[in-house]
Order: sequence, then C-alpha cells, then structure tokens
Amino acid sequence: MRFSRIIQTIAASAALAASFSVAAQNVICYNCPPEWADWATQIKTIKEKTGITVPPDNKNSGQALAQIMAEKASPVADFTYVGVTFGIEAKKNDIITPYKPAGWNDVPAGLKDPEGYWTTIHSGTMGLMVNVDALKGKPVPHSWADLLKPEYKGLIGYLDPASAFVGYVGAVAVNQALGGTLDNFTPGINYFKALQKNQPIVPKQTSYARLISGEIPILFGYDFDAYRAKYKDKANVAFVIPTEGTVTVPYVVSLVKNGPNQANAKKVLDFLLSNEGQAIWANAYLRPVRASAISKEAEARFLPAADYARAKPIDYGKMATVQRQFSERYLAEVK
Amino acid sequence: MKQSLRFYLQLAFTLLVCAFLIVPVLLSMLAGVTENFFVGLSSGFTLRWVVQVWDTYQMTIWRSIVIALACLAVTLLVGVPLAYMLARYKGGNSRLARVFEELLMMPVAVPGLATALALIMAYGQYRAFRSSLLFILVGHVLFTLPFMVRPVLAVMQSSQLAVLEEAAASLGAGMRQRFFGVVVPNVMSGILAGALMVVTLSIGEFNITWMLHTPLTMTLPVGLADSYASMRLEVGSAYTLIFLFMIIPLLIAMQWVTQTTRARVRL
Amino acid sequence: MSVTAKNPRRKQPGSRVWLFAVPGMTLFAAFWLLPMLRLVGVGASGPTGAMAYLAVVTNRHYLSSLVSTLLLSGVVTVATLAISSFVGLFLQRNRFPGKALLLAMLTFPLAFPGVVVGFMVIMLAGRQGLIGVLTEKLFGESLVFAYSLTGLFVGYLYFSIPRVILTVIAAAEKLDPSLEEAARSLGANPWRVFRDVVVPALTPALISSGAICFATSVGAFGTAFTLATNIDVLPMAIYNEFTSYANFAMAAALSIVLGVITWIALALARSLSGSTVPATA
Repeated sequence: MRFSRIIQTIAASAALAASFSVAAQNVICYNCPPEWADWATQIKTIKEKTGITVPPDNKNSGQALAQIMAEKASPVADFTYVGVTFGIEAKKNDIITPYKPAGWNDVPAGLKDPEGYWTTIHSGTMGLMVNVDALKGKPVPHSWADLLKPEYKGLIGYLDPASAFVGYVGAVAVNQALGGTLDNFTPGINYFKALQKNQPIVPKQTSYARLISGEIPILFGYDFDAYRAKYKDKANVAFVIPTEGTVTVPYVVSLVKNGPNQANAKKVLDFLLSNEGQAIWANAYLRPVRASAISKEAEARFLPAADYARAKPIDYGKMATVQRQFSERYLAEVK
Repeated sequence: MKQSLRFYLQLAFTLLVCAFLIVPVLLSMLAGVTENFFVGLSSGFTLRWVVQVWDTYQMTIWRSIVIALACLAVTLLVGVPLAYMLARYKGGNSRLARVFEELLMMPVAVPGLATALALIMAYGQYRAFRSSLLFILVGHVLFTLPFMVRPVLAVMQSSQLAVLEEAAASLGAGMRQRFFGVVVPNVMSGILAGALMVVTLSIGEFNITWMLHTPLTMTLPVGLADSYASMRLEVGSAYTLIFLFMIIPLLIAMQWVTQTTRARVRL
Repeated sequence: MSVTAKNPRRKQPGSRVWLFAVPGMTLFAAFWLLPMLRLVGVGASGPTGAMAYLAVVTNRHYLSSLVSTLLLSGVVTVATLAISSFVGLFLQRNRFPGKALLLAMLTFPLAFPGVVVGFMVIMLAGRQGLIGVLTEKLFGESLVFAYSLTGLFVGYLYFSIPRVILTVIAAAEKLDPSLEEAARSLGANPWRVFRDVVVPALTPALISSGAICFATSVGAFGTAFTLATNIDVLPMAIYNEFTSYANFAMAAALSIVLGVITWIALALARSLSGSTVPATA
C-alpha cells in the first residue's frame, strides 16, 4: 500500500540524514570562511598534518557570536574565529573557555586575553580597496578626504557601520584618522554625512565579489582582501593606506565553552599558532601575530613599511563598549 | 482590428514580465561559464567555475534534494488529512478551523530567524537531533505546510466532492474508506499543485535554515548565498547554473504530471 | 467493514473528522507553537523587561522600519496580484509550444533565497547591470536603480510573482467560459466582462494568494539584506539586534510583534471575503 512506501522513504531519509552527521574526526569552527584569510588552505593543511577535519563555515563574527549564544545550553561549535571586539564580548557573555595554545608566549601582551580566553592569530589593516580598471581612467584616491571629491560620485562603497563589524572598523578608522577618539565620533559622523553626496553603496555584508566585478570600484576593506584580489584572482586592484591614517584589527580564536570535541579543538588552535599555521596566514597576506613567520617574498608584496606606519592599534575593549552608541548615532544622523 | 491590437499588447506585457523573471537567470548562467564577467564575453568560455563549485558544494545540492523530498513526504502525510479536517469540521463552517489556518501561515510571516531561534532553544540540547538533517527538515516542514494545505483545501471545497462523499457514506463506506477511496483520488490536482510548491520552496528555503544548519549540514541556498556574497560573481553564477540544470527537469516533470492529471480528473 | 457497524444515515464525516488533524496539530504545537510561546518569555527577559514589546512603537527607528515593511509589503502585494492576474489569464488561455518549459522557468525563482534575488536585481539594474549598459548605449547616461526603493520593490516583485501566478493560472482553469460568453452576447464590452465576470470569480484565489504574498514579503529578509537600501525593513532590524549585539530579547520581541501584526492583517483580509469561508486555491 502507498502508506508503507511512504514510511520506507522517510526511514531511508532519516538513515541518510543520520549518516551525514557522523562525527568522526571533526572539529566545528564557527566563522572559518574558505575565501576569507585563505582558511581553505589552512583547513586543508590542518587535515594533512593532524588528520582533523574542520568543515568551512561562512558566518561572520557577529553571526558566529549570536549563534554560539543561542546554543549555549548545548554548543555545536568547538572553536570560533572572530574580530577582537567580539572575542571580548564572548568572554563577557561566558560562552568561551580559556586555553593557552602552544606558542602563547610569543604573542604580544596587548594581543591576547591575559587569562587565555582568546588569542590573536593574525591582523589586518583597514584601508581602501580600489579596482583600478573599474575607475575608467580616474586617479586612484590617496586619502579619506579624496573620496569626498565629486569625480568619485557613484564609485564608492563602504560596509554599513551599524550592522557589519568591518563597517564599524571602517568608521572607527576614519574617525581616528580625522582627529576623533572613541569618545568623540563627531569627525567620523561628519565625514559620512559629507560622503552621502557621492551616493555610496552601503552593503551589509562582505562585498569582495562586487569589488572584483567592478560594481563597487572603491571599497573600504582590509589589506589582505585587496592583496588576494591582486595576486590570487589577478584583478587590477590596488590597496591604499590613506594619508590621514587608519587602524589595524586583530582577529582572534577562542575555544567554545562545553564544545563537543574539545581535545581535538585544542590541537587545531595549537596548529594555528604554530610556525606552519602562521606561515599560511603570511602567505595569504595577513600579518601573522608571531612576526617571525612571515617570509621575505610575502613581505615584498605588502605595501612599504612607511605606509603601514600610518596604521595604529587602538583600545579594542573600549571599541566594543562604545559600538552600540555609535550605531545609534550613525542611524540617527547619517541615514 | 481592435481585438488583435489588445491581444498584442497583452502578449507584449506578458513577454516583458517573463523576460523580467528569466533574463537575470540567463545572465547569471552565462556569467557562470565566462572567464571574467567584468571583462565580458570576450574573455572566453570556461568550465572551471562549474568544476570549482561542484568540488566545493556538491554535497549541499544532494542534501537539499533529500530534504526537499523528505519534506514533501511529511507534508503529504500530515497536510492532506489536515486539509480534510479544515474542510469538513463542523460542516466546513468552523471558526476554530479558520483560526488554525491562519496560524499555519505564521511560520511564513514571522522572520525565519525567530522560528529557528525558538527551535534551537526548545530542542537544541538533543545533540544528535540538533546536528542532523532532521532538525533542518522540521524547519522546512513548518514553513511549507501551509503551501500544501491551502491548494488541497481549495479543491476539497468543491461541492461535487461533498456529494461524492455523501454517496459513499450512504453506501456504508467508513471514514477511512471515504478518505482514501473518494477524497484523495479526487483532490489530486490540489495535491500536485501543493507538491510542486513544497519541493520548490524547500529547495530554496534560506531564512530558517541559515540558523538551523551546522557546517556539516549546509544546504544549497546557504551555500548559494555564501558564494554570491564572498566569492567571485562567476562562482555564484556557476552554482546557479548547476542548480538550474538539476531543478528544471524536476519542475517540468511535476508540471507535466499536473497537466495530465488535470486532464484526466475533472471535478 | 460491516455495514451495520456504521450508522447508514450519517451523511457528514461526523465528529471524528478532527482525528485527521492530530498529526498536523501535534507537529505544529510541538515545533512551532510551544517554542514560540517560550520565545515570548525570551522577549521579555531583556534589560527593559516586557517593555521591549512596546519598543516597536516607542523606538523611532523600529517604528519607521515597521511602517516601511508593512507599506512595502502592501504595495508589492497589490502590484503582484495585478500583474499576475493579467499575465496568468493570458498564459492560461493561449496554447503554444514550450508552455511547460516557460511555466517551469517562471516557477524557478521560487527556489532562490532572497540573497540571490538581490543579486539578480543587481545584475538587472546595478551599476553594471543590463539596464545600465543598455541605457548608457541608447541615451548616454546609465540608469541604475538597484540600490534605491525601486530596486527593492522590483526585488520583492521578483520573488512574489512566481508565487501568485501559478495560483492564478490554476484558478483561471476553473473559470466557466459560458458565463463570459453570456455576458458578451448580452452586449458587455471586454473591459466589463473582465471587471464583472472574471474578477469576481478569481477574487477568492486572489485574496488567498495575496495573503501568502503579504506574509512572505513581511518576513522577507535576504533581498533587503543584499540590496542594502537606505530603508531598513523590520526583519533587517531584527537581524541587526541579533548579530551585532546578540540581543535576543529585542530580536524575539520584535519578531513576535511582527507576527502578531501580520496575523491581524491576514484576519482582516479574511473578513473581507467572509469570515467562515476557508481559503481557496
């Protein structure tokens, strides 16, 4: 009878479903996108060297944090990779657990949580990613102020500071560069108000694809994304560290509290800080936190050190605390 | 003369709407086989994006198909009898039934994030359940159930069906016999319409699945959205291309079955 | 089954028909109703307590999001119904080769997540979109509307039309051509035939699919997310609360308020077509 056939189909599907979720040597990462910071190579190497499979995951920092909190009672993730302010938030929300991976001592004091809740694995620098071909002959901008010129109308994009972490970093960078501080966002807000005249596109998520396709020729973003576009995807993309200055942002990893596969997750974190792991970041144009790992040829592809001297770290804890106020101010005054 | 002008205007408008829906899909498919979309067609044709997508995302396609078929099975088993109750309870004039019908639409109206969050909070602690495709299936069934119930209910409203049922009842057929022997065969057109919607919507369900999935249970829409956002346009487009080639035959087959059944079963 | 075991005079399915609803109701209660009720509690667990539920009216940003969402969904629904009726009727009444393929292609966008619909709109009307390139060639200036309210509207149309058009075609099949012929033979012009014969016959299907269209638009998130228009629809605000600040309480509260408002809107629509008449098509 039709009934029993239907039951059979369901049972078969359930069995199939169960087979798809067999654990094996799996360590779950939240926010390990294959294309971001070349996690694809990192994941492949981890599998080769340790036998542990880390499936890629395409969340962003905010989504990862929210998902881990939602699953607090029974976590699915073993570790997570987030922007530093989210690491600080995660600690406040008691969803991560301390672990000091091998290589801990080599990480500078300002770039790790003193109790071991999180540690930086690499940093990026905020700036302007420019698709030179898509500019159709216009000069490449050199400063934040350049973008206010009418010749760049319709060519600019920046991530929404009120809903994307990278967007917020961009806003903080502009603000610091123009003389503001984390207590005083007025220069930044005024800048964005002025920028609206040039009809910018304000996406809410990474828009790497749109930079390459030419839809957004000038995009606020990280140096490593620009270098990836230039050297890996062979697009004519230039990275600009604006003359007024910018900020560097560390990205951190943490062990999730009560994750299902803690022992293996610790091995993965060890690998990320090891010479080999750090070298992979360096080859993907990120600044590895253990500076000794960067090779000469990778170093040669970065912009000169003189440019990077304009990029400064800031008080990341404070940056996390003032984020909400800034968002509300941005929504009220700029939108 | 006037008649044919009206006809051509209607035709033009129809073609415009169809073009609006189809052209971007065709563009996307074209981008999926182009070497470099920014440069355009002159950069040459290539299958490397298609290969890249197949390598990276193959599992998501199969997973989505399995979930969609399972979703269809569940909504059939659960939705058709449910539609029957909504049609016949208190002779089809029940306020309670109407309220419940509205309630069924809620998972569609409430942002998927909320439905998913509610599910995680209520059942997340059952790890095996949480990490399996069944968890995603539950979300899909909640979302697609009204799309099965409504078309079936619509056909069940027909007064001719009620007459047939009465006749069967007066001949001594029990409730179960009436349902399987009289009702189901006659509402086939509604069931098939519902089935088409359920399968298509399940394959494309994103909002709820986005929170319910784990890195090990990624489905096609999640992968598709990711590839459009974080990879080159050509990769997302190649994904769309593969997706299209796998789905269109299924959609045409369901269309065809609907047509032939409709021709045979006139209610 | 023996005849004498059943009452031969029973015509209606009787009081036991509710049994048919048991699997459905159990599933729905267990996996949606009860978890949602629990979410109501979560909504009230934030720093402002139960006041979070009033935030949608007290907070200027949320209120304008809510109003934009409802307005946008309403306009999209009306436009979709108009376009779909027109096109659906035409398609149903004319035979041509490749009809099945065409209908399949029209249904295909149903399977797109909202994010991809956003990218389709960008392909059509973005800075490098087809329309931009064409208008640049024809008029020298490119028309770009993907990132404006028009673009958002077009995106919503893109996923709404496929939903409604199939229902309209199905309902159009059931239209009785003899009624239209009778009207024409009595001297009515085509417009009056359409207005007084066709539309009333289609109305139950239109109201029902309009309700689905409205509900879907209200809950839609991916398209607005990708197009990132200046207008923030409420699902975007909810997403923001959730991912930028992990503010579950506010996200839950706003979601529930949105659900309740949609339910009221759907109930109102139902009362327009008779309160105990079930949804058709």
